[in-house]
Amino acid sequence: MAEKKTKGKKKTATAEAVTESAAESQETGRTTGEGAAPTGEAKEDFQALQRRREDLALDVTRAFPDKYRISGEMEGCSDAAKIDLLERLVRTRTFDARMRRLFRQGRFEGTYYSQIGQEACDVVIAAQLEKTDFVGPSHRDLGASVGKGIPLTALAAQVYNRVDSPDGGRYTACHYWHPEYWVMQPSTSIMMNWIAATGAAFGFKMLKKKGVAVAFGGDGATAHGDFHEGCNFAGVHRLPIVYIIQNNLWAESLPLSLTTALTDLAHRADAYGFPGVTIDGNDVISVWNTTRKALQRARGGDGPTLIEMKTYRWFGHSDIDPADYRSEDEVEDWTERDPLPRYVAWLMENEVLDEERLEGIRQAIRQEVEQAVEFAEASARPEPEAFLSEVFVHEYPGFDVRAGR
Amino acid sequence: MAAITYIDAINRTLHEEMRRDDTTFLIGEDTGIYGGVFKATRGLLEAFGPERVIDSPISESLIAGMTVGAAMVGCRPLPEIQFADFISPAFDQIVQQLARYRWRTNGTYAMPVTIRCPWGGGVGGGVFHSQSNEAWFMNVPGLVMVAPSTVRDAAGLLRAAIRSDDPVLYWEHKKLYRSIKDDLPEGEEIVTEIGRAHVAREGGDVTAITFGYLLHETLKAAEALSGDGIEVEVIDLRTLLPLDTPTILESVSKTGKAVVIHEAPKVGGIGGEIAAILAEECFWELDAPVRRLTGFNTSFPAAKTMEDYYMPNAGEIAAALRATAET
Repeated sequence: MAEKKTKGKKKTATAEAVTESAAESQETGRTTGEGAAPTGEAKEDFQALQRRREDLALDVTRAFPDKYRISGEMEGCSDAAKIDLLERLVRTRTFDARMRRLFRQGRFEGTYYSQIGQEACDVVIAAQLEKTDFVGPSHRDLGASVGKGIPLTALAAQVYNRVDSPDGGRYTACHYWHPEYWVMQPSTSIMMNWIAATGAAFGFKMLKKKGVAVAFGGDGATAHGDFHEGCNFAGVHRLPIVYIIQNNLWAESLPLSLTTALTDLAHRADAYGFPGVTIDGNDVISVWNTTRKALQRARGGDGPTLIEMKTYRWFGHSDIDPADYRSEDEVEDWTERDPLPRYVAWLMENEVLDEERLEGIRQAIRQEVEQAVEFAEASARPEPEAFLSEVFVHEYPGFDVRAGR
Repeated sequence: MAAITYIDAINRTLHEEMRRDDTTFLIGEDTGIYGGVFKATRGLLEAFGPERVIDSPISESLIAGMTVGAAMVGCRPLPEIQFADFISPAFDQIVQQLARYRWRTNGTYAMPVTIRCPWGGGVGGGVFHSQSNEAWFMNVPGLVMVAPSTVRDAAGLLRAAIRSDDPVLYWEHKKLYRSIKDDLPEGEEIVTEIGRAHVAREGGDVTAITFGYLLHETLKAAEALSGDGIEVEVIDLRTLLPLDTPTILESVSKTGKAVVIHEAPKVGGIGGEIAAILAEECFWELDAPVRRLTGFNTSFPAAKTMEDYYMPNAGEIAAALRATAET
């Protein structure tokens, strides 16, 4: 009886959330973030805080402290390529923010893993890859998929577990992948992608195929044995691979100091006999130049590179995680180090971009995102029995997928 | 024609299949320069070079897991786990990734990977070199397991596994490596169909279901019982996963009695699965309870006295078969 009561209560709570979100969704269509005034944070409830921070994330022209201004030159990057990169960054973020709101509205089941704040770490390298290069993403690498050019429609269908998802809705929401774009399906079990990407790099080398692999992991993942086994093997065989560690300081709820006694994770590369570099992962110029060199090394047969990118995830591990293990001051500081406004400001200073062009890009992307959402919502839910296939390639006389029913 | 051993059959088949398909590669601990701790991989490094015969660091998770990416870009990997007992660090990669990848990707990828696992007791190896740990994997959808008991099947199942597009754990029994021989004509492409058990001996009184080294003890027991008028039908499972249910059911429906014999501990072993299948599918044909003769519910002991006691032998098997036959 007590249980029933709890259930009833939950239902009410959900209904409220939906009502609230309905308004929220109306507002989202025209949100540019300008109206996000940070007032009375202390009293803000969780939902309001989330919305405020999303609005902030979408405001890519906002001011930030001078100390976070970026400078230098992006080597071998044409103006067109710089704009293309900006588009991929904005596309990733806009999609991400939209999905967060749709999740709170209960529009798809499961959970949602937001990448907001970390986009430069995977978009910038993914954008430089050939279509047949291999990407081994983690569960927080939306940018690897968007950066490599996977259409948002496929990604949205993946979030929604619909038939138009690359796996037909049978795997796990937000675990973006696409066979045509050679982004492998991430495993929820940490670092499997690291090992698989290492195997792909080995395969390229053994089969004498052109191609490099890129693997992504977080700071927490460097404590996993597979981090070591993969790096060590790649070092021995000088495999064509770039390893990216997105050090966002938190492994779910675990602070870096409890993951490792190191401060800079790039030092780990010393143990494997290949270069390790620590960079500001929120500085697009630095990320571009460093990843470009690492890819050149991989393509030139010089072996792996480990790049540690210091970055930050603005939201919880998943969208049911309030991330209250972190201080508000820390989060505020990192929102000021947002890679997007810093890149936008630099592009404008260098007259590669102006307000009008940016507005055009943002509008086009908002439309693209809405179309992707419409596509996913119109895509059918999979038939209940659709998962009862593809266990094996071959048939076996004793195998009956339905034996237990 | 010279008879060759079980391990020769494995070695020869690896040579033939690696020659036939240049997308194959071998990776394992001490498999290259040293030719494998049992010499199953001898000569392969010389024949195919260090690009395709990889001496791996002591990294079982890597050995198993790297095959997923390698298979995706077009390789047909042949990893070796030095002793089946060392497969546990690779468990995550095999169970969560390799076995499920096809299902997870809605059939996009095949995982044509054959993991060779030297297993089994009776070789004086102690607990880390003697286990029969196939049951660890019985509950894994997407995984195939084969366990040859004869020289011919050592070649035939290995060739079939290598050519299969499903991931296969190939359990090669260490005690059989050099203890059995057979004439296998060079150049004959022996293929043993995966998924099919083999009736190694026909009989009408009781069915013995087993695999690996214990097939030979069971056949000895069957011969002994034949003298007493008890005819045992012996099924060599060959494929452990998915089990060849039709062949098992056909035999037990005929004899009405079954004894399952394996080295692994009884609890959660393959014998339990087979007994359950029999209870569900041919209960009304049974004339006696299904019996399981297995290893003890302990770890595997080192000292010869204890090891000999742990391993089921022909005498015990005969006693179990007789008891069931006379029920």
